[in-house]
Amino acid sequence: MSVQEQTWDGDELPADKPRRRSLPSVTLKPAHWALISVASVVALWWLVGAAGWVPALFLPPPQDVARKLLTLTTSGYMDATLQQHLLASLQRMALALAAAVVIGVPLGVIIGVYPLARHLLDPLIEFYRPLPPLAYLPLIVIWCGIGEGSKVLLILLAILAPVLLATVHGVASVSPLRQQVALTLGASRRQLLWHVILPGALPDILTGIRIGLGAGWSTLVAAELVAATRGLGFMIQSAAQFLATDVVLAGIIVIALVAFAMELALRALQRRLTPWHGKAH
Amino acid sequence: MSLLQVDRLSVRYPGQAMPALHQVSLTLGKQDLLVALGPSGCGKSTLLGVLAGFIKPTAGDVLFGGQPVKAPGVERAVVFQNDGLLPWLNVADNVAFGLKLQGVPRAARERLVAENLQLVGLADAGQRQVWELSGGMRQRVGIARALASRSQVLLMDEPFGALDAFTREQMQQLLLQVWRQSERGVFLITHDIEEALFLATELIVLSPGPGRIIERIRPVFGQRHLAGEPVRAIKSDPEFIELRETLLAQLVRARQEEAVA
Repeated sequence: MSVQEQTWDGDELPADKPRRRSLPSVTLKPAHWALISVASVVALWWLVGAAGWVPALFLPPPQDVARKLLTLTTSGYMDATLQQHLLASLQRMALALAAAVVIGVPLGVIIGVYPLARHLLDPLIEFYRPLPPLAYLPLIVIWCGIGEGSKVLLILLAILAPVLLATVHGVASVSPLRQQVALTLGASRRQLLWHVILPGALPDILTGIRIGLGAGWSTLVAAELVAATRGLGFMIQSAAQFLATDVVLAGIIVIALVAFAMELALRALQRRLTPWHGKAH
Repeated sequence: MSLLQVDRLSVRYPGQAMPALHQVSLTLGKQDLLVALGPSGCGKSTLLGVLAGFIKPTAGDVLFGGQPVKAPGVERAVVFQNDGLLPWLNVADNVAFGLKLQGVPRAARERLVAENLQLVGLADAGQRQVWELSGGMRQRVGIARALASRSQVLLMDEPFGALDAFTREQMQQLLLQVWRQSERGVFLITHDIEEALFLATELIVLSPGPGRIIERIRPVFGQRHLAGEPVRAIKSDPEFIELRETLLAQLVRARQEEAVA
């Protein structure tokens, strides 16, 4: 018999300690929590206006902004409807993204595969990457004028760095083991690139594109500073000059929603194209 | 007939005083299952790397079918501990991968894939994703892939090292079956003495500092298993145990000598 059993007095069971009341276990899905958080912010926003704490000039209440959004789709702002502004911005983003991928992925592969290319290009990339787009915007305008090209170029430069660096990282982190196996299975260098290195780098490339898109959106307003007549960034800028705060807010909300939708689409694409990513191996 | 011939092979890595391999000689024939046994640092991975063509010898000759080995080649397939499978391809496509690279026509490819998946006991798993498989199953896919390609020898780098004991024993038995049926020479490295004794038709023991062969024996336990004797009976046979302990003592002694030197 163990000591414990001998000394244990059956009548003196430790009384149930009054357990600390835990929070009521709420089983809500993450999406519900997200909804609650958004609804709370909107409610607070409404309250601030309704209670008269902040004048509508600085913060128009949500219902006004919603109404403005509707009129923007019909009568528009600055000679263009919201859809036309959105389309103009989306076209710039799409062009810039396509160019960034077409330039960034092959260049990233070259840098990732050839150390010499890395030594040569690394300082240049690290020079331009941390620069704020607004800093080199004047240069772009001086060199490339105020046309559509300059706007796309500015967004392109913002997207390029993340895409390029993610590709380099993706290529460099392709398992050497897989490459060795492929060689013993008869892969040529070209086949190694197409069948092992590129698919292996794909998860990183897609992540780079996601991050790049975020950077692109944040540059959009700066890009449309330059003699634009259409675009969400332009719409916000000119509305700000006329203190049309409702238009500014409407524009911000549209940009946020479109960017978020793109992020979700890319995440879905990533799950579809690279379902193995994050799983063992 | 010998496929692989290694004659007084030495490898010294740049910047290191001690050669990784010193004067290693061996031959591997079509009927051989040659196992290199040794502790980590004894140069067995280097040896496999040289045979595969990943590492250049510093001195000595490595010949395959009489020709010097200079680069990786399809006749020498490799199976790694970490399978090296491609997760974006399903099981069948992984097995077909080498054939596709080599331009084998589709019909022949499908036949070879089916044959070899059957051989490793994965006949029905062709459409599964490799990242859904267990470690043992992935290793089977790796073996099937090495067999499906036009390989004549299989170079296996601690292929069962990452598996649990039960799966490892299963895989050892599977390997013996596959080796006999596929008629390919197998060169396998391991640090597991039991595994080495059970599988090998020829066993070389490597010792570190510098990596060299300190013992060669020709165990018969694998053939006994193929003749029908159960694996546990073999591994608990006094003869097996005695040989195991002798080898272990030899490895321990070699390590002590190295520590003194």
